[in-house]
Amino acid sequence: MAAPVNSSSGCWKVPEVYKHHEQQKVCISRPKYREGRKAKAVKVYTINLESQYLMVQGVPAIGVMMELIQLCALYGTVEEYRPLDEYPAEEFTEVYLVKFQKLTSARAAKRNMDEKSFYGGVLHVCYVPEYETVEDTRLKLQDRRSYVMRAAWNRAKEKKEKEATNEGSSSSETTSTSDTSVTRREQTSENLTAGETSNDSHDPDFPLLPLPPQQHYFFRHENLHGTGPTEDKMGTLHNAVTNLKRPQVEGLSTDPSSSNRGQGTKRRMSSNQASEFRFLPRTTHLESRKRKMEEAAEPSATVSGEDGPLIGPKLPEPPKVDMEDDSLNTTVSLIRNTMKQVESVPDLKAVEKKIKPRRRI
Amino acid sequence: MRRNESTDVSERFEYLQTLVTEFQDTDSEEAKLQVLANLANFAYDPKNTEHLLQLQVPDLFLDMLTEENEELVEFGMGGLCNLSMDPDCRDAILQGGGISLVTTRLSSRREETVLSAITTLMNLTTAATRPQTTEPGVLQCMLRFSLADSPRLRSLASVFLQDCCSREQVRQAEQQMQGLQAAVGIPLPED
Repeated sequence: MAAPVNSSSGCWKVPEVYKHHEQQKVCISRPKYREGRKAKAVKVYTINLESQYLMVQGVPAIGVMMELIQLCALYGTVEEYRPLDEYPAEEFTEVYLVKFQKLTSARAAKRNMDEKSFYGGVLHVCYVPEYETVEDTRLKLQDRRSYVMRAAWNRAKEKKEKEATNEGSSSSETTSTSDTSVTRREQTSENLTAGETSNDSHDPDFPLLPLPPQQHYFFRHENLHGTGPTEDKMGTLHNAVTNLKRPQVEGLSTDPSSSNRGQGTKRRMSSNQASEFRFLPRTTHLESRKRKMEEAAEPSATVSGEDGPLIGPKLPEPPKVDMEDDSLNTTVSLIRNTMKQVESVPDLKAVEKKIKPRRRI
Repeated sequence: MRRNESTDVSERFEYLQTLVTEFQDTDSEEAKLQVLANLANFAYDPKNTEHLLQLQVPDLFLDMLTEENEELVEFGMGGLCNLSMDPDCRDAILQGGGISLVTTRLSSRREETVLSAITTLMNLTTAATRPQTTEPGVLQCMLRFSLADSPRLRSLASVFLQDCCSREQVRQAEQQMQGLQAAVGIPLPED
């Protein structure tokens, strides 16, 4: 790794092309029982190789930097980003450095964006830990350590609890945590969910988000499902975090004004401009429909004031419908409100006509 | 259909056991490398720690440190790096003579091996083991690394020196290094 000695601090100096940036050839000789879902190279990931800093290569040079960052922001807060003009790049492509607030976000982003097509190009995403400062590295190790310790503590707790319940049995298991002959299963559902939430992070973003109850349940339920199948046969943890993608996206789209996560303008931008995105999650469609309804409702709102007399027959109150989904419920109540406004101004037939089909819901 | 969690757990254990068995039985160097890499990656997830301990995988990784094939060493060290943060695994590694085996590999030409070794040593450092993991030879090594070209090596070595050693220890090591360098400069008397 010979390189000119450069004592300048910070991550913004001329980049070196390191071996761990290179995409290795995938392994084709694995026996079936340990073949993963996706062909992968033979590589070992340690905490030293992972980083909150990612490098994205293969971005088509057509001015899509913001779209790229919006895509990254799906996986977590992006703290900084810049093009790496000095880094060798293929013709007509650009290279970007993206710094995530959390390593777990970087992990999820790498897992989901690597080898994916993007505006006609194919992205190659890799960790670039060489951009870390000493403090970054220290914090990374500390985070990892506390996560592992927490998991170990949970495991020990589980064992003690199980032993307490098994006290009367003929089992001769000791309470020593270093006893390696324990064959009893220590994974209860409690451990599983604890393991899942701590798995993807000491990243409190997802569990702490005030998601609507159904969505939250859906997230945890889905996660429990995903415990076994998501980790592939080659042991890469990266697979285990993918379940979070969807709830996070939903949380993002259904609550564009949310500031719970303490997101910066970049994040908010990504939610507002979601419709310009190539990846359009289902809830974004609902959001755009909601917006259109609001826009349609506006002229009636401005015209029908409290001053005007109530004209026209009062229609019966539509039955309360529970769509069993908060976002849909929001949409339905919005439509209902719009209908009420429209009722008071019967000459705006165009709007009424527009809404009419909805009334049949 | 929701799978039984206990089924998941025992399937996981059996799968890991199959990997270990293949590793021990195979003659193919390529298969050994693949399986070793799998195990090292599985070692990253605390869900597997208990199983790997039962299968004595920490010892398997330690054995790799004495192999000639540098890739086996690198993957084995990576596995140790991943496992050693867990207290039970740490104890197993210490019992297997981990400190000296790991320290020896600080001189490896492969950067990943060295980085994994430094992190493993950090994890193996406890009040009881500190005299060993921060003995002068190791500190001098770390001091040299903290001046290396590679940013990752520099950062990691700096964290080691700042977090695992006392200032006095570092100062002494620095002095010893300077003493050595000064001694090299003195021409030998000619007879």
